[in-house]
Amino acid sequence: MVIDFEFRKQVMDYHQGSDVIKYCYQCNRCTDNCPVSYVTDEFYQYRYNPRSNILNALLGYKDSIFNADEIAIWGCTVCDTCDEVCPQNIELTEIFTLLKNRSIAKGDGPEFIYQQAKAVYDYGKAIPSQSAIERRREGMGLPEIIAPDTEELKTFLNNMNVNQKLKEGE
Amino acid sequence: MTEYKMFEGCTIGNRIPFIEASTRYVFDKLGIETSEAPFTCCPDPTGFKSFDDEGWLAIGARNICLAEEENKDIISLCNGCTNTLRGVQHQLAHDSIKKEHINGELAKIGKEYKGSIDVRHFIDVLEKDIGIDKIKSAITKPLTGLKVACHPGCHYMRPHEWMETNDDPMRPTTLKELSTASGATVVDYEEEVLCCGSAVSNAYEEVGMHNLKRKLDSIIKAGADVIVVNCPACFQQFDTNQRNLSKEFEQQYNIPVVYLTELYALAMGANPDDIGLKYHRTRLRDIAPLGL
Repeated sequence: MVIDFEFRKQVMDYHQGSDVIKYCYQCNRCTDNCPVSYVTDEFYQYRYNPRSNILNALLGYKDSIFNADEIAIWGCTVCDTCDEVCPQNIELTEIFTLLKNRSIAKGDGPEFIYQQAKAVYDYGKAIPSQSAIERRREGMGLPEIIAPDTEELKTFLNNMNVNQKLKEGE
Repeated sequence: MTEYKMFEGCTIGNRIPFIEASTRYVFDKLGIETSEAPFTCCPDPTGFKSFDDEGWLAIGARNICLAEEENKDIISLCNGCTNTLRGVQHQLAHDSIKKEHINGELAKIGKEYKGSIDVRHFIDVLEKDIGIDKIKSAITKPLTGLKVACHPGCHYMRPHEWMETNDDPMRPTTLKELSTASGATVVDYEEEVLCCGSAVSNAYEEVGMHNLKRKLDSIIKAGADVIVVNCPACFQQFDTNQRNLSKEFEQQYNIPVVYLTELYALAMGANPDDIGLKYHRTRLRDIAPLGL
């Protein structure tokens, strides 16, 4: 098992206070309360397990996370239940966000995530406006949605190199 | 009278605008005033944040800047948008390094994040600013006999450090109290705080379906006529996936889902056509106490 100290440091430094992860004593309340762990237990070969993710992140076992089945990272449904039940106040979902961001940078994330990011980048909205919906809005007497400044948004995101994570041709 | 900047969000604004129609109807009745701003996507706390956390923080901060320029609080119709914008506010208030960095980026496009406005979920405004008594006094056709199961959804109340609702994040009661004001009867069910599974469904549909079954089985067991929600992602998860669920598990799932504002609009005498009830996938007209 390879220990990646850089990865470990990145987890610890993610936010002010994210080093509380080191107080995890593997009690399993996160997994016991995780809705995805509950259902993947029955019919999946791989169980989504937030407790294992925290252990692997804490120990710097990068390969156990990033070389496993992608459900290890992307099974999380972002319900924030684990954050609330953790007796050590670890912000698990924020750690899982870091794992997802790294998975995206490697090109391993679900297509849906890339598509949504591209829509936000191109149109300023995850769900772009459609003429049929605009007519429906008008029919119900709803005001027109003011178009966002997409050029400014693109400049803003390009300055932070967010565009470099998008997949070409989508 | 306070005027809020309306943050209807991508899903309600550009996919299910009938939710906005009922909301505006109810806001008019209760004296909640709103105006528009050129907001972008919040962006999605379950989607874009997973793509790039720093970009999520930056886009959220930029949206808040637009409301700050007019010195008006934001009212959000969506759990996800509220969660993002409040999460951004929380992180920038508690992390000076992040705030400095984001403001450095905002400065390049001529903006500055100050943290001078508040971001409110419409549920929070109804509960704290309007109050049950005023809502009750606007009800003209109480929905007596209607049994509702409440699903406030994850991002309305979690993480509690961001959302600062009056609710216990694992035992919420506000949506139940607000639903009762319509004249309906709230039924409790075992899986009230269980996630609708919308986010995981996008990557693993089968996982999402099994989670949805768990949720709906609990609601049906409690004998509810309809599910009441306050989030468009949860609304869509319940409204559009029951047909697929019925096929997959060879069992009939057709319990209607209504937004709290639809419940109120009907109880305040709205014409069902004016608030677009026909656009629901699950049929509402068989539910007698709704009087459709």
